[in-house]
Amino acid sequence: MVRALSFLEKKHRTSRFMFFFFVEKKKFLASRKNYNSLAILKNNKAQMKIQQMAFMILAVFLFFILVGLFFLSIEFRGLRQKAMLLQEESAVSSLKVISDMAEINFDSSETLVLDEDKLRILLGDFGKYYETFWPVSSIKVYKIYPAGEIIKCPSLNCNYYEIYNSGQKNVKEYSTYVSICRKIKEFSYVYDKCEIGKLVVGVKTNE
Amino acid sequence: MKKRNFFQSSMFPLLARKKRGEFGFVWLFAIIAGGAILFLAIYGSVKFGETKKFQSDTEIAKTLAILTDPMQASFAEGSYGKISFREETRINNICFKEDFGKNDISISTKSGIVKEWGKSGGAISVHNKYIFSKEKNEGKDFYVFSKPFEFPYKVNDMIFLMSEDYCLLNPPEYISEEIIGLRIPNIKISNCSDSDTVVCFGKGNNCDIMVYGVCMTDCNSIYEEGTVEKKEGTMKYKGNLIYAAIFSEPNIYECNVERLLQRTGKIAELLSEKADLINARDCNTNLKPDLLIWKGLTENATSENIILLNQISKKLNRLNAGELCRLW
Repeated sequence: MVRALSFLEKKHRTSRFMFFFFVEKKKFLASRKNYNSLAILKNNKAQMKIQQMAFMILAVFLFFILVGLFFLSIEFRGLRQKAMLLQEESAVSSLKVISDMAEINFDSSETLVLDEDKLRILLGDFGKYYETFWPVSSIKVYKIYPAGEIIKCPSLNCNYYEIYNSGQKNVKEYSTYVSICRKIKEFSYVYDKCEIGKLVVGVKTNE
Repeated sequence: MKKRNFFQSSMFPLLARKKRGEFGFVWLFAIIAGGAILFLAIYGSVKFGETKKFQSDTEIAKTLAILTDPMQASFAEGSYGKISFREETRINNICFKEDFGKNDISISTKSGIVKEWGKSGGAISVHNKYIFSKEKNEGKDFYVFSKPFEFPYKVNDMIFLMSEDYCLLNPPEYISEEIIGLRIPNIKISNCSDSDTVVCFGKGNNCDIMVYGVCMTDCNSIYEEGTVEKKEGTMKYKGNLIYAAIFSEPNIYECNVERLLQRTGKIAELLSEKADLINARDCNTNLKPDLLIWKGLTENATSENIILLNQISKKLNRLNAGELCRLW
C-alpha cells in the first residue's frame, strides 16, 4: 500500500513536473487511469489531514482543560477553608454581640449578663419574629450550676433554653460563660438573683 | 520563463499544488479551531480574573461585617475604630426596611488599565447592625464610630461609617468633648481645610451641613433634638441620631431610623411580657399599658415623628425609674 502510494505520488509529481515543463495537458489527462488515481490519492490525504487536525485539536483542548482544572483546584482549594474561618470569626464575635442585645441582656449596663425572663419569653411565640434576625444558626443557653441532668425549658426546674435553631445540620458550636439573672422580691426587698450559665452559638460548617 | 512563486518551492509542496487564490480546507480548519481556542483561553482567563475579584471583594465585605462587631459601643458611651485598605476601595451600603430590615454591604475595587470602579462583590447582609453612611463610600481609610440608640431603653448600637474629613463649627460642648475624647482623626473642631465637609451648628457661612437644635424642655443642650439640613434633604433627629444625620445620606438615615423604631416597638412588646412575669413574682410594675401604647406608636413611625416620640420616651423613662422592679 505504502509502495503503491509512493509510486502514485512519484508518478503524480513526474506528471506535474512534465505539465510545468510543457507536456501537453490533453495527452496527460487522456489517460483516464492516471486521472482517477490522482483524485483518490488527493482525497485520502485530505481526509487524513483533517483527522490528524481534529485529533490534535481535541488533544490541545483536553490538555488546556486539564491544566485549567488543575489550576482552579489549586486556586480554590483554600476558598472553603477561608469561608469557614470567616464563619468562625463571625460566631466568636457574635457571642458578645448576642449577649449584649437588648432582647436577651439583663439590664443594659453589663456585658455577658442574660435576663432569664427575656429568655423565657423568647422561647414562646415572640421568638418567631426573630428567626431571620439572628446572625447565627443556633442559640442555646445552659445553666451550668448546679450540674445535673439537662431539662429543656419551659418546664419545672429547667436549665436549658433553646432560643433559636435554624434546623441546619453540620453546625459547629462556640460558647462563652454568662450570668443568667432575674429580679426577685423577698421580704419587700428587691435584688438580682444570678446563676452561672453558658451561651452557645452555632455556625454552619461546610465539612 | 515564468518565475516560480514562493509556495511553489519545495518547502511548501501542499500549497504549491494549489491554484493561485485557493484556500485549503486544512488552513481554514486550523484558523477556525485556533481562533476558538484562543478566544476560549482569553474569555476563560478574563472570567477567572473576574471570579477571583468577586471572591476577594466578597471576603472583604464579610470581614468588614465582622470587624464592625468589636467597634460597636456596647455599654460604652461611644467607640471609634479605623479600617485601612491597601488600595482605593468603595464600600456600598444599601438599606432595606422589611421586617427588622438589613444593611447590605458590598465592596468594589478599581480594576483594569484605566482603573475604573469594577463590579462590586457579593453583598453581605447584616440584620442586627445599623450602619449609617453614604450609599457609596470611597477611600483607603474608613473611620467607624459607634454610639448607642436609646429610646428610652437601649435598642442597639448605631455604626457611623465614613471616609471623608469633617469640620464641626461651633458644636455644643458635649459633642466637642466626645470628639476630642475619642480622638477621631477625621473630625475636626477647628482649623478647617478646604477639602473638609463643614458642619455648622446654628449659624455659619459656607456650610455644607447645617444643624439646628430645637430642644427646649428637659434637655441638657438645645441640640438634643433638632434638624440637620443638607443639599440632599432635611433630617429630624434626637440624641445620638445627630451623628447619624450628619454622616449619612438621607435615604440611608431614614431607612435605618425606621428599622430602629421597628425594633424599639418589638422590644416594648418583649418588656410588656416581662412585666407580666415579674408581676407574677410579686415584683409589681405598672408599665405594661404604657409599653403597649409605646409599641403601637413606634412600630410604624418614621424620622418625622422622632421629636414628638422623644417626649413620650422621656416620660416612659421617668415612669420606669420610679418603679420598684425596673424593666430596664
